[in-house]
Formats: sequence, structure tokens, C-alpha cells
Amino acid sequence: MANKVVLDQDSMQRALTRITYEILERNKGGQNLILVGIKTRGEYLAHRIADRLEQLEQVQIPVMAIDVTNYRDDHLDAKDDLGLEPDEKLNIANQNIVLVDDVLFTGRTTRAALDALIQIGRPQAIALAVLVDRGHRELPIRADFVGKNIPTAQNEKIKVKVKEFDGEDSVEIVH
Amino acid sequence: MYKKITETPVEKVLFIGGGETDFGLQGESDAAIYQVLPILNGLGYTITVVDDNPYSLALESPAATGILKTLTVANIKKIIQDQQIDAVYPLFGGIRAIRLWDQVVAEWRLEDGQIPQSLGLAAADLHQINNGTQLFQRLDEAGLGVTASAVIQTQDEANELLRELELPLVVRAQKPIQGTTRQIVDRLDDFDRVVQQVMDQSLTNEVLIAKAINGLKEISVLVVRDRDGNCLQVGAAEDMDPIGIHTADSLSVAPVLTISDPVMQKMRAQAFLIANMIGLKGVMHVQFAYDEKTGKIYVIKVSPYLDQLANRMAVMTGYPVMLVAAQLAMGIRLTNVYLPNAFHQKTAIMEPVMDHIVVKLPVFPFGDLDASNITVNRQLNSVQKSVGSALGFGRTFVEAMEKAIRSAHFNNRSFSPKYMADVSDDELIQQLIHPQDNRVLLLIEALRRGYEVDELAELTNIDEFYFYQLKRLIEIERSVDQSNKDAQSLRMAKKSGFSDGLIARFWDTDFQEVRQLARSHDVIPTYKALEPSAGEFPEHERQFFATFEEENESEPVDNQSVLIIGPGAFRMGDGVSAGYMTSITLSELHRLDYQTIIMNNNAADSTLLPHLSDKQYLEPLETSDVMSVVDLEKPHAILVPGNRKKLIAALTDLNQNVIVFPKEKHHPARPEAGQSEFCLNFFYDGQTKHPLVILQQRPGESRLLKQKINSDFIDDLDLSSPGLYQVIWRADIDTWVDQVSLPNLTVDTWLRPMPYGHIAYLTKALGMPLGRMVVRAWVDKLNEADRKFLAKMAANHEGASLAMVTSDTDYALHLQPDKSLDMTRFEMGAKLVPFESEQADGEK
Amino acid sequence: MERHLILEDGTVFSGQGFGAPATTFGEIIFDTATSGYQETITNPIYDGQMIVFAMPVVGADGIHAEAYESTAPTVRGVIVHDLAEVSTNRQRRMNLDRFLQHHNIPGLYEVDTRKLIRHLRETGPQKATIVDVVDDHAVDQLVATVLTNKQVQNTATPKAYANPGHGFHIIVIDFGLKNGILRVLGDYDANVTVLPYTTTVDEVLTLDPDGIILSTGPGNPEDLPDSVLTLIRVLQTKVPLLGIGLGHELLALTNGAALQALPAEYHGMNHPIQEIISQQIFYARQGRGYVIDMDSLDNKKLFVTHRDLVDNSAQGIRLRDYPAFSVQFFPDGAPGPLEANGIFADFFETVADYVQKNN
Repeated sequence: MANKVVLDQDSMQRALTRITYEILERNKGGQNLILVGIKTRGEYLAHRIADRLEQLEQVQIPVMAIDVTNYRDDHLDAKDDLGLEPDEKLNIANQNIVLVDDVLFTGRTTRAALDALIQIGRPQAIALAVLVDRGHRELPIRADFVGKNIPTAQNEKIKVKVKEFDGEDSVEIVH
Repeated sequence: MYKKITETPVEKVLFIGGGETDFGLQGESDAAIYQVLPILNGLGYTITVVDDNPYSLALESPAATGILKTLTVANIKKIIQDQQIDAVYPLFGGIRAIRLWDQVVAEWRLEDGQIPQSLGLAAADLHQINNGTQLFQRLDEAGLGVTASAVIQTQDEANELLRELELPLVVRAQKPIQGTTRQIVDRLDDFDRVVQQVMDQSLTNEVLIAKAINGLKEISVLVVRDRDGNCLQVGAAEDMDPIGIHTADSLSVAPVLTISDPVMQKMRAQAFLIANMIGLKGVMHVQFAYDEKTGKIYVIKVSPYLDQLANRMAVMTGYPVMLVAAQLAMGIRLTNVYLPNAFHQKTAIMEPVMDHIVVKLPVFPFGDLDASNITVNRQLNSVQKSVGSALGFGRTFVEAMEKAIRSAHFNNRSFSPKYMADVSDDELIQQLIHPQDNRVLLLIEALRRGYEVDELAELTNIDEFYFYQLKRLIEIERSVDQSNKDAQSLRMAKKSGFSDGLIARFWDTDFQEVRQLARSHDVIPTYKALEPSAGEFPEHERQFFATFEEENESEPVDNQSVLIIGPGAFRMGDGVSAGYMTSITLSELHRLDYQTIIMNNNAADSTLLPHLSDKQYLEPLETSDVMSVVDLEKPHAILVPGNRKKLIAALTDLNQNVIVFPKEKHHPARPEAGQSEFCLNFFYDGQTKHPLVILQQRPGESRLLKQKINSDFIDDLDLSSPGLYQVIWRADIDTWVDQVSLPNLTVDTWLRPMPYGHIAYLTKALGMPLGRMVVRAWVDKLNEADRKFLAKMAANHEGASLAMVTSDTDYALHLQPDKSLDMTRFEMGAKLVPFESEQADGEK
Repeated sequence: MERHLILEDGTVFSGQGFGAPATTFGEIIFDTATSGYQETITNPIYDGQMIVFAMPVVGADGIHAEAYESTAPTVRGVIVHDLAEVSTNRQRRMNLDRFLQHHNIPGLYEVDTRKLIRHLRETGPQKATIVDVVDDHAVDQLVATVLTNKQVQNTATPKAYANPGHGFHIIVIDFGLKNGILRVLGDYDANVTVLPYTTTVDEVLTLDPDGIILSTGPGNPEDLPDSVLTLIRVLQTKVPLLGIGLGHELLALTNGAALQALPAEYHGMNHPIQEIISQQIFYARQGRGYVIDMDSLDNKKLFVTHRDLVDNSAQGIRLRDYPAFSVQFFPDGAPGPLEANGIFADFFETVADYVQKNN
């Protein structure tokens, strides 16, 4: 099994940097912004984007994380459990939400996250930022901010590693 | 829950020292550790240093706990447990310390408790560095140029590989027992023998065989990297000699002159890539080979630890490599590195720029051995033969080279032009192809005899730039020779780095007349500051070298300055002792509030560390160089090594206040087989002679006796100046003894100043700052406490169970001498070992 | 032959002449890089200037076909400490001496360049002349000479030309472009059109660009006609835009920032540059006489993305509302480190994004 590195640490950092700039551009600054990371790796990425925004604008952007593994429509035992700690339930009403995930594939994870968010409150707008868009959408979902478009075959897998969780930063294609 | 990456803060750090000096390791490890201790201590770290080198300054540093113990796995483990060490820093101890720490990690057991963090490189990466092939596989996978290679375990496999890769091949031991040596085989006849020899050098009987890339240019790049991946290039140097000659034996030049910017940038990028790949926190030296014809770059060696280039770059650029590297290893970011006030506040983050040229010349032991009628293999190849090196600083290549030659080779017979004239044409060609120590002079001689630059460049694989430079030198020599003491040729000669003495030889006069002539024509050195910004910023300039231009930047130090003439490059028999004693002297004089000025040209010991002196002159140490500094600085006193008779006489003539370092140039010859030599050591404070201890010397080893000495025995000796002395005698004793009967002082003994090696040994063995006390005695600053201490010493004689043992240097490998060497006289280094039991070990 | 350098403040430096025996006038600056003399001498940003090299030995590597940053150098003088002689043979057809002769540029060697640099770091750049004889006439000439401020006209292309490739269509607006930028665009296989800086919005947009680069160039950006700022003001809202060097200064001016002349210019590659967003530092070739006046920066329009950690100057800016950004340093190296190459990668990612969203 040969893994091919498609993003190394440096290009991964740069992709996150570019996403951050684009979020600022789109959102006209950091006002009313909340980053929502989809567990596991999306959460780390959301924090990194928040750190970057803080370096640039000296503002602390709230970050929350949701766990949608039990919430997807293709899971038989789907439950309404977002895995949120009570104190993490931010008031998202009238806020601009940027949903952050590592890979955008079929779109089902994103959809689950959208469903979940709308249950909590009524945000002003929801945008989607992904580190990798690998194609093969099954739902009409499009990312607003893409770190890297990586066309893949159905049977390939994309493996995103983040330093905080996996010890290193990289994106690999696993055959 | 989301967590930022946090690291356990480090508090108690163990530095593993480099151990005894040998080929490939001079004083740089100890100098590096010694330099960083006060800073790390100031930043709140508790440091322990372990080493067994008697010349270690770090062991004596007040900023750390020094532990004198043999460098073994068991001892390191014990220290870790006793001192509750939470992190170990082996990288300043060089490859030997890395191997040791790698072994400690491998042998760490659950019951040993929590294993300390490995600073600078994670234990796994460190293990990979120790096992070169794994690393090079990774480099290969990352797309970097490496030479085809394989590891073999039998002669059959070797032969197979021989057919596949073809000669020339590089053969080296995998997991070597001692330091790494690479041997290049270009004759089929040598192959079997070398493979067998190398196999025996490996712990695992594994041999690494790689395609040799002889003849390519060799470039060294030094970089630092911090925990966040911020990288900075400290500098780069090129070897004049092509690959095939050990880099330590090559003439090396910094900055790089003959390589284009795009190629340099590629090497830089590769060095950064490697640093990131192994997660380095600290300093790394990467050696590259560059093929000008194909444009291909090969990585030939990766040293992510302290080696000679790190210290040398620090001296050559003014960038505090060691202070930065040590802090990076502690996890401090490059942008947060703390530097003392002596540095510009942005120095750590600015890449140093050189607006001067530095030439490094190796110093070979051939002359010294020759004088003892020992013939060795002088041919330079991939196995190191040099024992030291000296630097020449200038503003042109010719000036820097001429000064390097004068620094490295003064008094060396094979470096006289006369000797060159005797070389036959056949010999000349032979030596051009098979270079020896006198390489540079030989190239000059070839040009003199009319060989064309193109021809020579092809024959030697040396860049033609160097031949044009050497031609310039010949022209300057010729015009000096033909002129008659005129000002213009004098200026030109001085600008090109010539000494007054050399010019005097051309003009059949003496150096005093040349000196007078120069002064009357206003040919006076202008000292340029050596600082890392190349003039962009005003820095706190304290390092200078001489050149002959318009602006002099060196302001004389005010009153009470003491000029210390350094010992220069290492030579055999000196060991590191001269550097040790010079450093102690600087440190003690500084403590006594003298303004100290050091002149030296050796970057491999601690004498040029910025914090040890108020001002440093990076110069050759010949009479004319010293006199020029004396003219400018007008020092209150000048400390000169005792073997510099001509210099002492010249300075005395000028009514300078000369204090002679009672230097024993070489260790004396060892006693005959079956004999012991005894030294009764005493301290003369100017009034009283205080006996210290008796030392017994047998070939390669010295021990202390447990014998009380009655001071009456030495009372009658007539001494002119205070200091440390030895009464020496020999006896037919071929075992170690506790007591010896004293000889008849007037008949069987002789008196000498205590050699530096013994000062270092006794300082550690007796736990007395003898070096510092003798410095105080020289400047008449011995205090009451000293005298009390000395009086007490005389009454109390336990001795100590520490022996000083000469390094087990592999002369057969490096020099192939025709007879066995006197290990005392030709000592490369020494270590201190307990000789009774581990418990009696001399802990400080 | 002994020749002399006279500075406007009356200081005289003497050395040996090499290159052309011409008498020239120019603004004198110093460079602290230790590699890439040929690239530096041929970089059009040095139009009308005399360069003092801190590198003590210059010329040892000869002159190479691949190291030209422009075909013809327009510097007014090259001042070095030691000139390395190298032969001209099959591999090296040119050496520095012959190269400068050929382009009628005088050189001076055996100069106490360290003294000169230490002097210039205090006085800042000034007018200077290289002459055979120091006399009142030479000094009067220097005082009377008014240096041109038409450096961009001197070096930028007057006519559009193409450097075809198969990738994105990138338009480079030429203010005195250095070849390194084209070299990198070639690496991305971009389909490049270089346009003169006098071009109009219509001319640019009818070519249907995927991205725009405002090139490097010499001189004071404020000497350029206002039409340039008008051009940028429109283009920055239409397509992804990257400004480099002078192009960066122009992007800043366009968006209301003011520039300050540096007391001593900086030409070298040893200052750390920090990318603010990631806090990472890297090194890149810089050559600058101006910096953005930070007080004039309208934070609602622009923000700073990079800064030089030595003098804290802004080294990169970005528009808040559009994918337009710029850097003061040279991310193409040539000469200089390659660490900032990622700026081009970012630009092309932005371009790819733009193209995808607009198709």
C-alpha cells in the first residue's frame, strides 16, 4: 500500500492561511463570526483558523465543535447527539457560521452538520470551509473555501493528518 | 476536548560532554557547553554536565554541576536518577555523545523510571542519525540527491556490489565502534582488505558501501532550526580541495566564492528540508557535493549536532551559534532567543553576512613526527590526518590564505619555499594527483614552473579561481623580490598578508627594519570589526582582524589591559591543555577586573569565546602581527607562551611588560619501559613553596600518590617567579605505588614548570582551582584564602583515585606510522578514570 | 588605473578602475548579499544607481547566461573591494570585467568598501560620480547633475509581448520587470502576457486575464503617472492580483497608504520576514528604498500580512475585500532564498479558485 503525500506540512499551512484570508474577505472582517469544527480533525483546523484570525486582527473568534458521527442520514442508528458540552453551546442566532471540515466528499457529513446547527439556533449565514475537496458529491453542497482541490477516484481514500492529533501535518492519498 | 500541543517544561538538564580529544574532536564540544551554561542557568535551567575530559572547562563552570565520570551507559543512568534529570542534551557532545545517549535509550528499562526527554532531536530521530543508511533512505525518498549505496555483511555481498557500482567506492562501517571513517577504494587490489578492516570497526560487522563521487566540489552549509520550523542559514563554506580529501584536511573558504546563487539556494533549501524532516531543534551541518558538469547536488553527510564547523562559523561570522542552538534545543523560539548585551538585539534572527574572507588550513602532525624520525603516510585521502586547524582572516582570498598559512604552519619545514624548489617535476605531478599536506605550496610551485591554469584545474579538480589567486600571489612575491624596499611593494605585500619577517627574507634584512620602513611610510594595519551585519548596523564590536585599508575601527582598550597571546592551532602532544590554560587565564584576569585582549586563530577551543575576553584579535601569532597589536593597544602587560623566544625578546627590547606563560610545549617523552617518572608538584607563591602531591607517570597513564610531603625537601630551590612547579625524577618501578622514597634533590632530579595538562588534571583531582591561583600569582593578586588553602594542602595528602589516561588514538588508521608512537609525547587527548573503584570516583 | 568615487557630501574614495573607463553619475547604495552579484547588477530595480558590494570578493563565478535578470544592466557603477579574475573560455564566455566594459559601466575595486558602507549607513543614499581625477570640475559636475526620475520608462517594456504557456493566463504589468518573475511563471506553465505600464483597463480586460502581476521596478513609485493608480484601482476588484516590489508600493498607494523614504535603503537577503498569520519567519531578497507609512494604512481597506522583524516595516499587504495582495520582497529569489516561493503558489491557488468560481 503506497501512500502518496499530496499536501505536506508547508502547503497545508499555506492552504489554511489562504482560507483564513478568504474568510476575512467574504465576512468583511471577524464580526459575528463563529467557527464550527466537525470532529475530529475539523475541530483542530477550526482552531488553527481562529489562531490565524487572532494573529491578524487581534480578535478572538469563538470556536465550537460538533460530532456528527451519530447524526448522518446514512447511519442506521442516527441519534440527535452532537457531542456538545453544555457550555459549548454558543448562541449562534444571527451569527455568521463557518463550518470547518478536513475533507469534502459525498456531502453527507456536511449535511448532517447543517441539520444539527439549525437545530441549535438560527444563524445569519452558514459557509463551508474544507481543507480538501475530493469531488464525488452525492448532495447539492459546495464549499465556499477550499484549501486544495484533489480529484480522486471513488476507491481511493484521503487521509488528513493534523499535528495536534496525528503528530504531523499532511494529506495523503491511500490506495 | 481541543487541546493545544503542550510540552512538559524542562527544568533539570544533563549535558553529555564529548569525552577525550582525538581525530575529529578537538575542544569544540567543551567550548560550546562551557559557553552556554551561564545563559541557560540565567534562564532558570538547572544544568548538570558529565564528561571525563581533564581539559574540560564546563566541568569547572560555576553555572552547572560538573560530574567527572567515565562516559558509560551505567554512569549516565545513575546520574539521571541521582540528579532527577528530566531532559538530556547530547547534541553538543558530538557524535560520540549521541551514540552514548542512543545506547542509554535502547537499554532503558521500565524499572529505571521515566526516561528523560531527548532535547534537540527526539530519541527516534537521533537513532536514525546514528544509523546513517535509514536517514539516507529517507532523503532519497524525499527526492534529494544521494549516492547509490548498500549495506553488506559478507565479502561475497561486497564483491557483488563491487560489480554493480564499480570503483571508486566509499567504504565505511555501519554502527562503528569508534568515530566514523570513510575510506575510498579506487584500486581493486585494496578492496578486500579495506572491506575486512571496516567490518572489524563495526559493532555489527556491517559495512556501508557507496559510489564514490571523487573530484566534485564540496560545500558545507550550517543551519539552525527552531521548534516551529523556523530556519536560518548561519553560513556556508567551500573546500578548495575536491571530494576525496577529508573535509578536515582541506583548505576551506568562507563565504562560498565559486558557486552560483541558484545552486547555493538549492543547497540551503535542502538543508532546511532535512532539518524539518528530522524535527531538529538546534544546529546542523550538511555537507553537499556539487557536480558542475551535470548541475547535480548530492547530500553526503548530515550532522545535526555540534561539530567543528559550528564553532568555526561562530568565530568566522560573529553569529553566536552555540548560544542560539542550545536555547532552540530547550524549546525556545528563534524569535525569543536571549542574547547577552554584547550582541546586537536582532543578531539571533538576522542571517550573518561576511564582508571578509576566512581561510581554514589544517595542521598536520607530519613535521613533529618527522623530527622524531617517524615516517607516516602523508598522502591526503578520505581518512583524517590533520590534528588541528588555524584560520586566516582577510579582505581578499590571498590575504586570508597567506595569513592562514602563517597561522597554521609557522616553523614547519615542509612549508618553506626552498623545500619546494627541490621537488622534481615527476614528484610534482605525483603530488598534484596525490596531494599531501603542503598542497598549497605545491600548487604555487606548479604555477611558477609554468603549468597552465586550465591544465592544473583539470589535473586537480580545483576551481580555476584559486589558481588565478595563487598566480596573483606569485606576482606579488616576484615584485616584492625585485623591488628594493620601496613603499609601494611593501604596502602591496602587507595588503596580501605577508609578515614583516617574510618580506625581510626577500630583502635580506631583518623584520625590525621592515617594521620601521612600514611605519615611516604609514603602512599600518587597519583593524576591521568582525560582525554579522557586514556594516549594515553599528554592533558592539569586539572582534577584529588586520588588513591594510583606509579605516581602522579598533579603538584601544583603556588602561589596565592585558594582552594574551593564544596558543594557536592544536598540535600533537599539546592536547587541548594550552587552550584550557589560556581560557582559565582569560577568565581569571577578567574576574580580577583586567581588560583582557586575546590574539588567536584557532576556533576549535574556548579561547575565542566572546564572553571570556573584552576584545579578540583574530590574527596569526607571528612577531609582526603581535607587534602591530601592541603598537595600537599599548597593553599594561603581555602574556606570552614560553616557547615564543623570539617574540619575548622582541617585546622585551621594546620595554614591554612581558609575563611568560611557563609553557611546556610538549609533554615530555615517556619514561623507559620498566621505569616510572615521579613529579613532586608544588606551588610557589613568591614567598613560600607549598608542596601539593606526588604524581607517578608510566607510559600513557598518570596517578597520584597518597604521600605526605615535607616542605623542607624543596625549601632550598631557587625560583625567580611564582607559579606551579614540578621536581622530576625517575625510578626503576614498574607498578603503581602509594609511596615513593624521595631522591637526592641535587643529583637525580630536575625542575620544570608544571605542564598545563597536569594543572588541569590536578585541578580536577584535588578539587583546587590551581590554574586560577597561578594566574593570581603571576599578577601578584594571591589572596589570604589562597595562602590558607595552600598551607592546608601541604598538610593533608589523601591524593585522589583518579588516573589521567592518554586517549587510545588509532594512529594506524589515520597516519600509518612506520613505528609505534610514544603515546605520552604524541598525545591527542586524555581522559580521567577512577583507578580503584567506581565509588571513589571524583565527584565535584 | 587609479580612479575615484566622489560622493555628494564631498567624501572621496579611491580604487582601481575596471569595466568601462566611463565617467558616470548615479545614486549610490550598498548591498549586503553574499551571492548573486550578476543577478543584482542586471536587476532593473538598480537603474541609475551605483552598487557597493559588502561581499569582499566579487566576480569569482564569472558571468552566466542563466543569471541575467534583464538583458542589459543599467546600473551606473559597481564598487567592490576585490575583483576576482576568472578566464573567459568555452564554459565562461564572459567575466565581470568584460561584461561591464561591454555595457559601458565603470567599476572600481580595491576600495575600502566597509568604510564606504559604514559611511552610507549614516548618510543614506546620495549622489555620486566615478571619475579619473578629483578636482573642482568633477565636484561641480556632480553638484550640478540632476538624476533622472524616469527609471521606469528606462527599463520597462514599451510594447506588449507574450511568453506563452499552457496554463492560466497571467498578465504582467511591467514597471521594470526582473526575469526571475517570468522564470517562476514558466514553472507554473502560465500563459504570460507582459504589458507596458501605460496600458489601460480595457486593454487588460479584453485579454481576459486569470490573474495580474504588478511587477518589480526601479525608482520612486510616486514619480509614476496617476493613470497607473487608476488602472490598479479597477483591476484589483476584477481579478486576483499580486504586486511585487514596486508593484507592492503601487498597490499600497492605490489604496490610500503613504510611502516613506528609508533613511538608509536596504538591499540584501538576511532580514527575517514574518508571515503574521502563521508567525513563521523566512528570508528573502529585499531591495527597497521605501516603506509603507504605517500610520497612513487604512485598516478598513488593507491589512499587513508580512513584516520585516529587523525594522518592523510592512513587507506584505492584502486588500480586505478582494483577492489582491502584494509583497515588498522578491519571492522569486534570483538572487536569494527560495523560501518565499510559496507566495506564487498562493497566487496560483487564488487564481484557480477565481477561475473555478467564474466558470
